[in-house]
Amino acid sequence: MLDRTRTTLSDGTTIDDLINVQTREVQLRAISDPELYDIEMRKVFGKTWLLLGHESEIPNPGDFITRLMGSDPVLITRQKDGSIKVLLNVCPHRGMRVCTSDAGNAKVHTCIYHGWAFKNDGDFIGAPVAGEKMHGDILPKEKLGLTQARSHLYGGLIFATWNFDGPSFDEFLGEMKWYYDMLFQRTDRGLEVLGPPQRFTIKANWKTACEQSAADGFHTLTLHRWLGEFAKFGDGDLTTSMYGTEVGSLQGHALRCMPVANKFKQAAGFRDGNLTLEEKLAIVPPPGITKEMLPELIRNLTPEQLGLLVDSPPQVGGMFPNVLIAFIYVPQPDGEIIGLTSLHTYIPKGPDELEFCNYILAEKDAPEEHKQKALQFAVRMLGTSGMVEQDDSDTWPHITQTAKGAAGRNITMKYQAICNTPPRPDWPGPALVYEGFTKDDTQWNWWLAYRDLMNSAL
Amino acid sequence: MNAATPTDFSVADAPFRANRVPVGSPAYNQITEFLYEEAWLLDEIRLAEWVERLDDDLRYTCPVRQTRPLNQQAASIVRTVMHFDETYASIRGRVGRITDTRSAWAEDPPSRTRRLVTNILVEATDKPDEFEVKSYLLCSRSRFDETNLLMLSCVRHDLLRRHGASFKLARREIIIDQTVLGFPNLAIFL
Repeated sequence: MLDRTRTTLSDGTTIDDLINVQTREVQLRAISDPELYDIEMRKVFGKTWLLLGHESEIPNPGDFITRLMGSDPVLITRQKDGSIKVLLNVCPHRGMRVCTSDAGNAKVHTCIYHGWAFKNDGDFIGAPVAGEKMHGDILPKEKLGLTQARSHLYGGLIFATWNFDGPSFDEFLGEMKWYYDMLFQRTDRGLEVLGPPQRFTIKANWKTACEQSAADGFHTLTLHRWLGEFAKFGDGDLTTSMYGTEVGSLQGHALRCMPVANKFKQAAGFRDGNLTLEEKLAIVPPPGITKEMLPELIRNLTPEQLGLLVDSPPQVGGMFPNVLIAFIYVPQPDGEIIGLTSLHTYIPKGPDELEFCNYILAEKDAPEEHKQKALQFAVRMLGTSGMVEQDDSDTWPHITQTAKGAAGRNITMKYQAICNTPPRPDWPGPALVYEGFTKDDTQWNWWLAYRDLMNSAL
Repeated sequence: MNAATPTDFSVADAPFRANRVPVGSPAYNQITEFLYEEAWLLDEIRLAEWVERLDDDLRYTCPVRQTRPLNQQAASIVRTVMHFDETYASIRGRVGRITDTRSAWAEDPPSRTRRLVTNILVEATDKPDEFEVKSYLLCSRSRFDETNLLMLSCVRHDLLRRHGASFKLARREIIIDQTVLGFPNLAIFL
């Protein structure tokens, strides 16, 4: 359990003043206040589980990648025994970044400043001129290694946290794990990255991107309207895709399950209930899946999970605090439907800047041709040059700036589109279930999770 | 030329220049003009005219960069996940999104861009109508009332193919200098 406290800013404003639970409003000031940012670094990014990459980026002993965990640089290494360590990439001697490459292979990481050397599990080996004992006698060598984070592999995804006695990773996912497992734990060999991530900078506060990731359906209708105008998604009417089921939790996780029958004419027969799983997979498989994977899906998922995955797969959403999840379809003019898989982390780089880090993935067992297509279409739709996501990159900076105005800071972001439809009686999954047209509930839950952490004692 | 003047101005060994189309030669000048015109069309957002200068077997890519030690520089260019991974058809799709819809917000209102093309080196190939062209590009970009120009620098490795009196772009690989782009997207072409 989190200890509750009243986090108060220097002018007396509390978190609860900024996030109005009665009216479901968030004061715009919450977006880019520098004082809040410092608290977020400690109470959010210092406390939750954070996605840092995928183990397929470091397949061999000695392989490493460097990443940001909130504002901390970390070194992620593959050990001889196959396990993975997440280490603070900061020299315990004088604070220099120990490893300065983005990726590579090394048994030993030596700081270029004064030469302190570390095994790739973080243990301190020694300093130059051993006889002169640069590291002195006061601290034993065991205390001079690289600080190790608490880490966890989930479906090959690398997560870590500085919260050593906080919730386990499974507790962190909570009831939403049932849905995430449909994406990340469904095949025998799981996902792999198709290369290192794309990385670019947006002059916007991290929260602008992250609250959107908690399954903001409405913005698709306007900001991504070209999908209907040009690509003729949903025969030009994007609203048909907005009917489905949003699932989420008070931990701020969210996914939108979108019925395949609403999206594609050829899947209209899914509604009748007469098609077998094989037949459905042959018509429109879930994004990233090929029909040959059915035996694996049956092995790894419950019948309820598998049924939902095939009829109404989770396609977009997020994982608190800063992950976007996209398992989406890209229909082609010739009728082929390409499924692609991408994860983003939005890394805070100060109150007014985020780094957009885009991983493109595929099932390891997918045919090579499928992977290459998925990769090309992921690049064309998402990330740096993605035709969908390039439209997001102006809105977030504008919001970050409007949040600074004397009047603007008091404007509220409103999450008042509330789902009033009860869940379908036959809905097979757990967690909070919001049936029908997309609503604001999952995004509001994101703010409730943020509020909880920001009010927690350190 | 008098005897005291050095006669060999070469800055590199012979193989480096073996197929060089000399700076200032007619073919070099035509290619330079092609690249200057291309930059002008893109800066003026005359995208349909730009597309006419692309060949239909176009491959247009922009690798991801990574920081790597000096002795691993080949690995600093990543050609798996890239920032652009395009064909002629996909570029036409990207341009169509901008020209044929009212909602390509990433560039509406458009950036004010300036593509400064320099350091052009041209190599002849086995095919008399094809040239390998290296050029440096410094692209500045201004959006809304932001006073600081966004900047992106790169080298472009092009294959230009002669078509009548002019050329078409058959291949372009854009090697960007940033591992983390300072641009908020690549909704413009390089």
